[in-house]
Amino acid sequence: MIYLDNAATSFPKPESVYLASDYALRNLSGNPGRSGHKLSLSARNAIEETRALIAKLITASKPDEIVFAKNATESLNLALKGILRPGDHVITSTLEHNSVTRPLEELKDHGITVTKVHCSLEYGADLNAIEAAILPQTKLMVFTHVSNVTGTVNPIYEIGHLCRKRGILFLVDAAQSIGIFPINVQDINIDLLAFPGHKGLLGPQGTGGLYIRDGLEISPLIYGGTGSQSELTHQPKDTPGCFESGTLNTAGIHALGKGVQYALDKGINTIQKEEAVLADHLILGLLEIPRIKIYGPSLSSYRSTVVSITIAGIDPSECAIILDNAFDIAVRAGLHCAPDAHTILGTICSGGTLRISPNHLNCISDIDACLEALKEISAEGGW
Amino acid sequence: MMQNLNRYSRQMVFYEIGQKGQERLLASKVAVIGVGALGTAISNLLCRAGVGHIKLVDRDYVELSNLQRQTLFNEEDAKNSLPKAVAAANHLRQINSSIMIEPVVTDVNPWNIESLIEGCDLVLDGTDNMGIRLIINDACLKLRMPWIYGGAITTTGMSMNILPEEEAPCFRCAFPNAGLHASHDTCSTVGVLGMTTHIVASYQATEALKILTGSEDIRRNLIYMDIWSNAMGYRDIKKNPDCPTCSHHEFTFLSQPRTSYTTSLCGKDAVQVIPFGETSIDFSSIAKKLSPIGTVKFNKFMLSFSDSRVEINLFTDGRAIIKHAKDENAAKSIYSEYIGS
Repeated sequence: MIYLDNAATSFPKPESVYLASDYALRNLSGNPGRSGHKLSLSARNAIEETRALIAKLITASKPDEIVFAKNATESLNLALKGILRPGDHVITSTLEHNSVTRPLEELKDHGITVTKVHCSLEYGADLNAIEAAILPQTKLMVFTHVSNVTGTVNPIYEIGHLCRKRGILFLVDAAQSIGIFPINVQDINIDLLAFPGHKGLLGPQGTGGLYIRDGLEISPLIYGGTGSQSELTHQPKDTPGCFESGTLNTAGIHALGKGVQYALDKGINTIQKEEAVLADHLILGLLEIPRIKIYGPSLSSYRSTVVSITIAGIDPSECAIILDNAFDIAVRAGLHCAPDAHTILGTICSGGTLRISPNHLNCISDIDACLEALKEISAEGGW
Repeated sequence: MMQNLNRYSRQMVFYEIGQKGQERLLASKVAVIGVGALGTAISNLLCRAGVGHIKLVDRDYVELSNLQRQTLFNEEDAKNSLPKAVAAANHLRQINSSIMIEPVVTDVNPWNIESLIEGCDLVLDGTDNMGIRLIINDACLKLRMPWIYGGAITTTGMSMNILPEEEAPCFRCAFPNAGLHASHDTCSTVGVLGMTTHIVASYQATEALKILTGSEDIRRNLIYMDIWSNAMGYRDIKKNPDCPTCSHHEFTFLSQPRTSYTTSLCGKDAVQVIPFGETSIDFSSIAKKLSPIGTVKFNKFMLSFSDSRVEINLFTDGRAIIKHAKDENAAKSIYSEYIGS
C-alpha cells in the first residue's frame, strides 16, 4: 500500500510512537493528576512532558498554554464557543474546513455574525478584503493556516499583525500545518491555535489540542472533574485543568509526545523542505498527464503537499476506488469537508476533487507510482 | 380469542389438520423475512389458512416490475411506491381481518434479526439473498426455532426445512459455500417465472402448516425442481459434524457481521456499497449477465451499468457506486438485485 492520504491522517507513525503507546498502557496507567500514587504521577508526568514539547514546538510562553482535546475539531469548538458571545462579529475565509464553518453556522443562530472573506487559490485570503470586513464589534478572526483541499497557505503572519493592531483575537486552524510548517505563536500574534495530534505531529488519532494565550478569557466546553479543588461546586478557573475535565487519553498523549519529539529532532524546516520536493515532483508529473486539471497554487509556490486534481470524464470517487483497488494507492476523493473551497474550485456539484497528500515519509518512487497509475487511468479513459 | 372457525372448514375437514390443528395454527406466530415473490405467496396462503400472527419483514418498495410475480401487489401500490411490507399487510387484512398482520419495514441484519423473530414459532425465508439466509440460519439455530428455506430463479426452485434438532442438518450443511461469491445470478439478471416462485412458496407454506400443527410428515430432505425441463427430485442432506453453526453452535454471522456495508459519497447523490470479504469480479461475465437488461460498458478498471431505474459503477474488488438510490438500504437492495449478495 502506498499511502498518500496524510491530509486525512498521517501514516505510518515513527516507531517511537507505536512503542510509547504500548509502554504507556503498561506502565503509565494511573489516572493523571488524580490519585497521587506512583502510577498516577507517572501518567501525569507523561502528559506534562508532551505539553512542554508542544509548547516548545510552537514557541508558547509556557506549557500551561497548551490544552489537550480529542482532535482539532474539538479544539476549534472550544475556541469559538468559549470566546464568542451574542453581538460579536467574526471574520473567516472561504478555505475553511467544516470544523470551523459548522460551529460558526450554529453560532449564527445565537446572535453572532460572520463575514467570509474570499480567498485566491494561489495566495489565500486577501488582506485588504479582511481589513475592509472589520467592524467595531469584530471580536475574532479565524483562518485556516493551510487549506486541506488545495494546499493554499493563508498569510497568517500578516493577519496576526493586523489583528494585534486592531485589537481583534486571532484563532488559527493548524490542522494541515502543525509539524510541517514553522509556527511561532508569539511572532505571528496568535491568540488561539487549534491542532490535531494525528496528522503532521505523527501521533495517534484521538489526540489534539488548543493553544490559549496566557490571560485570555475563555469558557470551557466541557464541565466536570478536574482532579483539583473538588470542594468547589463550580468549575475551577485554573488552566489548563479547567478545560480538561474527565480523564485524559494518557497513552495517546504520551505517544503524541514522541511524534512531537520526532518532529523537533528532525527539524520542522527539514520536514518542510523534504515535503516541498515531493509536492513539486508530484505537480510536475501531473502537468504531463493529459486530461488532468490541478487546482491550487502553481508549481514551486509556497504551499503544502496537498494536491487536488480532477481527470476529465472520470469521477473523482471512482478514480479513488480504482487507485485503491487496482494500484493499492490510498488517496481521498470528495469535498474533503470544505464545501466553500469547492465553490471557488467549481467542483462543488461534480463530486469534488481527488486529493493526493504525501508527507515527508513518502519517497519519490511513491509519487512516481501514483503518477504512473494516473497515467494509466487517464489513458483508459471514462466513457 | 373466540374465532369463527367456519371460514376454515375446508381445511379443517382434512383429517390431518382438524379443529385441533386449526386452533394450533390460530395460536401460532410466524415471521416472513422478505415480502417479494416468495413472501407474498407464502403470506397469502398462511393468512387464508388462519395462521394467527404473521410478521412481514422487508426493506424494499413496490415497483411495477414486481407485479409479474408478486401477487399481493397492484398498480396502485407501485404508483405510490409503498413499502412492500405495508402494501402486503393492507391486502392481507382485507383477506383475513381476524388474524394479526404485523408489517416491519427494515433491513434484516445481524443486529436486529434476533429481536425480529423473537417469540415466533417459525421463520419463512422469502429473501433472495444468501447473506441474509446465513444470518437467519444462525439466529434460528441459536433461538432453537425452525425455519424454511426457499429459493427460486428462472424456472428452478428449491426448498428445505431447517429444524432445531440435534441430528438435523442446517442450511450451512446443505450450502457450505454460501455467501462466498459476491456475484451470482439473480432474478433481475437471469429472470424468474411467477410460476416458479409460487410452486416453491406453496411447498414452503405446506411445510409451515405441518411444522405448526406438529405433523409427523415434515419433509426431511431438500426438494428441487426445474419446471421448464420437467425435472424434480429430493436430495438427502447429511449433517456436517464440523458445521460451525449446527454442530459447534458458533453463530459467527451474528457476532461477526459478514454483510455488505455502505458509505454515502460526500457531495454526491451516490452510495458506495462494499461487499463483505475479498472478492474478485470478472467484468466480461458480469457484462454478459447484465447486457440483456440494460446498458453495460467496461474498461480495465470499472464496469458501468444503467437501465431506466439504476446506475451502477462496479469495480474489480466487488465495490460499487450506486447512483440516485433512495437511501443506503435501497443501494444495498440494488446491489444484491443486480450484482448478488
